[in-house]
Amino acid sequence: MKKFHFGLGPFIKSNNKTSKIMLNVVIVLIPIIIFNFYKNGIIPYYYHRTDLLGLFYPLIFVAIGVISSSFWEFLYDYLLLKKRNDELKETLLNSYIFFPGLFLSLILPINTPLYILVFGCFIAIILGKMLYGGFGNNIFNPALLGFLIIMSSYSSLISSNGGYLNSYEIDGVASATPLSQITEQIGSYETLVEPYGNLWNFFIGTIPGALGETSFMLCLLAFIYLSFTKTIKWKIPFVYISTVFVMTYFIGNLNGLGIWYPLFQIMSGGLAFGAIFMATDPVTSPTTPVGQILFGLFLGILTVIIRYLTPYPEGVMISILTMNMLVFILDDIGAKSRFNFNHTLISFVLAWCLILGLGLYIGNSYKTTDETDNNFKVIEKSVDNQTYIYTVSQKGFSSTIKSEITIKDGKITNIKILEGKDSYFSKLTDNNYLNTLIKKQDDIDNVDAVSGATVSSNAVKDMIINTLKEYAGDNNEK
Amino acid sequence: MKGVKIPKHKKLTQNKKIRIYNKPKIVYIPLVSQNDTNITVMVKKDDYVCKGDILGKRKGSFRIPIHASVSGIVMGFEEKDYMNGYKVKCVVIENDFKEKVADKPNVKKHITDYTKEEFIEIIKEAGIVGLGGAAFPTYVKYDTKQKINTLIVNAVECEPYITSDYAIVEEKCEEILEAIDAIVKINNINEAIIAIKTGNDIINVINNFIGTYPKIKVHLVPNVYPMGWEKALIKEIKNISYDHLPIEKGIVVNNISTIYAIYEALKYNKPLIERIVTFSGEMFKEPQNILVKIGTPIKEIIESIGGYKRYNDISLVAGGPMMGMTVSEELIISNNLNCLLALKDTETKPPLECLRCGKCIEVCPAKLSPVLIKDSLQKYNTLQSLEPNRCIECGLCSYICPAKINVRKCVIQGKKNLMKGEK
Repeated sequence: MKKFHFGLGPFIKSNNKTSKIMLNVVIVLIPIIIFNFYKNGIIPYYYHRTDLLGLFYPLIFVAIGVISSSFWEFLYDYLLLKKRNDELKETLLNSYIFFPGLFLSLILPINTPLYILVFGCFIAIILGKMLYGGFGNNIFNPALLGFLIIMSSYSSLISSNGGYLNSYEIDGVASATPLSQITEQIGSYETLVEPYGNLWNFFIGTIPGALGETSFMLCLLAFIYLSFTKTIKWKIPFVYISTVFVMTYFIGNLNGLGIWYPLFQIMSGGLAFGAIFMATDPVTSPTTPVGQILFGLFLGILTVIIRYLTPYPEGVMISILTMNMLVFILDDIGAKSRFNFNHTLISFVLAWCLILGLGLYIGNSYKTTDETDNNFKVIEKSVDNQTYIYTVSQKGFSSTIKSEITIKDGKITNIKILEGKDSYFSKLTDNNYLNTLIKKQDDIDNVDAVSGATVSSNAVKDMIINTLKEYAGDNNEK
Repeated sequence: MKGVKIPKHKKLTQNKKIRIYNKPKIVYIPLVSQNDTNITVMVKKDDYVCKGDILGKRKGSFRIPIHASVSGIVMGFEEKDYMNGYKVKCVVIENDFKEKVADKPNVKKHITDYTKEEFIEIIKEAGIVGLGGAAFPTYVKYDTKQKINTLIVNAVECEPYITSDYAIVEEKCEEILEAIDAIVKINNINEAIIAIKTGNDIINVINNFIGTYPKIKVHLVPNVYPMGWEKALIKEIKNISYDHLPIEKGIVVNNISTIYAIYEALKYNKPLIERIVTFSGEMFKEPQNILVKIGTPIKEIIESIGGYKRYNDISLVAGGPMMGMTVSEELIISNNLNCLLALKDTETKPPLECLRCGKCIEVCPAKLSPVLIKDSLQKYNTLQSLEPNRCIECGLCSYICPAKINVRKCVIQGKKNLMKGEK
């Protein structure tokens, strides 16, 4: 009896397989996990900062993530979807149940209590994946959803536990993560990089940070491997990291910071790990090439916005979650642009305007704070019925001038020099310079300096200007 | 178009002589042209027909005739399997093996001596259609007021397994070049370009004869799929894009087998009653190219080449492994059947969930977004903006899919849904 099969072609298939794609991701994660074991386990153990349990704790942490993630999905399939035997086996094999937990454990601080990790896996699997209909149907990256819930509910608990610092780092490093100070000031090489050594440490990954995120080098190697094997949508991390680089280069340059600054920015805060592993999660990222490029651009812009303009120092994870929601719009643009490229014009113009505008805005917003006179200090101030008395100091020619300035209704009424050892200082009092300044305080720039004591007279002038600024600031607050 | 390198499987039948199978007892001539069954029937039961007699003519604007491929008595009409998956009405003729030919007007001694009008009339009356698989009436391409600058002869044959075009070049190269030369002269065409894949041996055959024809050139194209697609071919060779038909840019594209059919029509006034079909695939005992009469049941031919290697888990595929579909053994040879494959059946597992990896979008030569079409099959407005009608059904999306989803089927469904929605 002849037996024929029926169907519509094609009847030959490539050797592409979902399992192959997933295997490639696992392959590149292995060195990252080993590095995590070295940095967070072996080093502290070697320096006797931890016991045998602490040595293997980084591996245990990852294992718990993998196991609990698999467990929750098994439980959901078994209890709620009532899958059994072959069907259950098939589902568990084909939906890559361990990935959300694996990723979650790699982006969490090492001092996250294990029960919180297990809870995070629950959120990732149930809220992030199963409620949307399981593998392939979720909108948000499951691991990132778990991360967001954990960090918004338990971040103080985790940071009181030590946060991102392992037992070796906890003694040596001042600030939790390199980026955590960026929201207040632009920073300098001394404050941003030097506490952790040099940029090379950022490249290798021996800086504080989440388990899998710190090594830029391993992420870069992973990116090369995954792009070469056509496993990931390489455009996303490439555009994402480039955008952050360009914008921070811009911002740094406006503030006189060198090329180290954008390099520092792209090598910290888990940007590389997030861009290469989380933003390229196939299910939750755009499928069209143009969509992927726009996705990368806006991820970069959002990350810079969050890093500089919000109190949260690390914007990668939140950016990716936000952009996950917009994937369908980007794909819509991407699909239409394949027939007519003009469809993308608006979005690209918008992206470039944002990059340029935000770069300029952020770069310049630091510039003004940077200009405040470091030589000026308010020592004391007292308010008494609209009369402000400031005790201030200003660096003069060879020493500091200290004086008491009284301001009433926005006008300086009195200047009393408390301390001033400059040799030319007497010339100022002799020439009634202080009274001239009080008289012409609205037009102080045009007051001539006392000849023979230019530096000192200008110092007094600056002191008055700075005090008036301070006064203006105080009054605005009310 | 980037194209994709796919396995060729051409060695099974390449470099084998074309076998002739011209002794069917009964032929079933399908009354269909280009999937159009709106045919005026011109014979009735018990009529005696000669080989080449007209059995019916297509209604509508393309009045292509359908000819008898044998001489004998019309036994009646029967529904038989056609390669689009439906049954169509066929004229059943019992072969009397006399190969009797009706008197035909004299043919001119030299095939270049025809005027353009005569040329168009001859290829129309001979029922010449594109033999690459689309069966588009060939005369329509030449019946235009627009000046034809370039004739591109498509010998790319990018579908795996199929070698019928190569086989005809191997055996009839001189005749083909002569025909191209005639077409160029009759239609006052500036140049003719034969498109061949890089690395294909038939270039040596053509180079042996091409020296005497200054207007005919050979152009090597990349060995990727779907390079044989008209749009891709013109883009590759001429770097020109067009909207609907190549004639907009003064270009005519003909399959190389069609050229040979034109040669026979011009030289011998012979209508399109036979063609070369590649019988290939791992499951045939002796894969080969066979010259067969239109209307021959494939069962007879398969038996004549020794049948199958084994009898279970076979997919019998008509039209190529990428674009074709499975057929039953009751299929009848029609003018658009370029190959018949007996393939090992591989699809045992159901497809996985879509990973949204976007590979189908990357490879689509028509610049579609197959995964998005698959997702919005029920949403008319979204579907419309995704323009599934551009699909050329090349099958690359399904070929590349890591989850083994038949994406091509979804896009074809999208086309159908869109048509339903328009009604």
